[in-house]
Amino acid sequence: MSYFFQIVVSGIVVGSIYALAALGLVLVYKSSRVANFAHGQIIAAGAFITFFLTVRLGVPIFFSFLASMLITFFLAMSVERIFLRRLIGEPIISVIMVTIGLASIFDGLIYLTPFGSENFSFPDFLPTESIVVGGVSISWTQLVGVIITFVLIGAFSWFFKKSTVGISMRAVSDDQFGAMSVGISVPRVFGLAWATAGLSAAAAGCIIGNITGLNFETLHAFGIVVFPVVILGGLDSILGAVVAGIIMGLIQQFASGYLDGNFGLNGTGDVMPYIILLVILLFKPHGLFGIHEIERV
Amino acid sequence: MSQNRWLATGNFFTSYKQEQRTFFTHLDRTIFTCFLVLLFGWPLVFEISNKYMLVLDNILIAIVAVMGLNLLLGFAGLISIGHAAFVGIGAYTVASFSQVIGDNHVFITHFWPVVIVCAGIMGAIFGAFVGLPALRLKHLYLAIATLSFQMIFEWFIQFMSFFNQGQTIYVGRVHWFTGMVGRSDHYLFWYYIILIFVVVLGFGVRNLLKTKYGRCLVAVRDNDRAADAMGMNPGLTKVYAFALAGFFAGVAGALHAYLYRGVGFESFTLHASVGYLAMAIVGGLGTLNGIFWGPVAIKFLDIQVEQFSEFVGHYLTYAPNVATALKPLSFGLVIVLFLMYEPRGIANWWRIVKSYTKLWPFRY
Repeated sequence: MSYFFQIVVSGIVVGSIYALAALGLVLVYKSSRVANFAHGQIIAAGAFITFFLTVRLGVPIFFSFLASMLITFFLAMSVERIFLRRLIGEPIISVIMVTIGLASIFDGLIYLTPFGSENFSFPDFLPTESIVVGGVSISWTQLVGVIITFVLIGAFSWFFKKSTVGISMRAVSDDQFGAMSVGISVPRVFGLAWATAGLSAAAAGCIIGNITGLNFETLHAFGIVVFPVVILGGLDSILGAVVAGIIMGLIQQFASGYLDGNFGLNGTGDVMPYIILLVILLFKPHGLFGIHEIERV
Repeated sequence: MSQNRWLATGNFFTSYKQEQRTFFTHLDRTIFTCFLVLLFGWPLVFEISNKYMLVLDNILIAIVAVMGLNLLLGFAGLISIGHAAFVGIGAYTVASFSQVIGDNHVFITHFWPVVIVCAGIMGAIFGAFVGLPALRLKHLYLAIATLSFQMIFEWFIQFMSFFNQGQTIYVGRVHWFTGMVGRSDHYLFWYYIILIFVVVLGFGVRNLLKTKYGRCLVAVRDNDRAADAMGMNPGLTKVYAFALAGFFAGVAGALHAYLYRGVGFESFTLHASVGYLAMAIVGGLGTLNGIFWGPVAIKFLDIQVEQFSEFVGHYLTYAPNVATALKPLSFGLVIVLFLMYEPRGIANWWRIVKSYTKLWPFRY
């Protein structure tokens, strides 16, 4: 039974990271209807900036965490300003391809630095022994990561519910013309949505980097694996991203915990999200919490 | 019909039959014939090293694959981020023949045209199957569905021991009427074969777009409800567009397998899919000559970047492998810049040049 609970715990850890990573994607999609295929690269950039500040410049990790969030905030905002703003109103294939092209550009830029090809890990700043409760163990990094994730998600939901900027962002996602008529600058809101997405991506990157170590391949793979998560939760729902992230983490851990090694299967954890994605797209394309707006022929 | 059969200043069609002809003027036909003779003849005149022949072969294979993608994306308006997986299905059809009956079986070495067509049909079957979500989904959701097909394909190939876990599966050397095609003639031989495939399939696409079925694709792209109201079947058309794209991709994959004499997993990753998309977009979506411009431009860029990074690598001491960095960088920049400044692709430049020379030296 403790094996079962161990899987549940690691599923929740992985799931909460998915939730945080998916949050950025949902933020951008919700306001500007752009699916950001370069999200994984922004996650990686955030993680590497934190690492660079902590290890090379000797900044305390807490401050470098905040600093990298700030840097990716402006990075994502400038990406929106330079590349995406020209494409408002263009056909969707152009927008998708621009974000794919951006992912490629970021790939190239990161490969130019030493971070692209080597493995790094953050210095230990938390106790290294894990906490064991009733046969179920969780390491301090994982625990702190999950706590930070939930604090951040709480902060984001407060931001959207209560703050003026958050409310204007929701207004834009609801009705762009309506938002314009009450004096909200729609392009500015798009920029802010990208910026907050960059901020959450940096946070996700740091947490992933602390738990699994820094490797560019694994970090930018998160940018693709969040798509099943956001589709399951509904592309434009923050609550959906959180719930679906945890569901997806649990499914993945259960698949690799119980299916791998049995029936001659292997690596099912990697493919399960995509199978679920296809099933959802066929039967409930708007996801668990998304708005029904799928057009049919 | 205009009196001058060599130069036409506009459309003077009086019947549908005239509009459906392959060549509108004698000039078109002459230029095209000259171009074909040039393409077929120049390897006989010039001596080309195998290295450059391989590049040419690669470009031609990419043209076959992009034909399918352009039909799907440009003419039918359906987004696919999994095109390399379809190409992979073609290649792995050849590979599974080779696994089952041995890589030097007569069927593979002597009846290779049959194998290539089989691979195309296999691609079409998978294409139709993957196209099923297109009945319910549009735009972004469809893109993500094809993305998940790509990921499942990658996982499946790496998982199955039948496919050698993605490691190379060998395919034997083919035979021609004169005997086995040896090492020295291999790339030249496949240059001609792939060129013939490109010409035949290119004519196929061109003629298809003049038939009921081709126009159906364009109508569904522009407005599927209107197409429905006019008596077309949009759902069927979408699935059939996917099947068509799968067919072209499957043929390209089989040609790839024969050209490299082996099938490896790394040619059919998500990265390759993005490459095909870039070729289609840089060439020009929904245009016929864009199919040819795109792969040429992207492969040419690839070679230039490789040479440039070799050059830079001499001067850098730490050199993190410049080629792996500059390739995606230049590639991404080309995609983004084309989408921002020339969304209609190189085909648009061609159109401008053509319309300028048509009336030169007069302005109107």
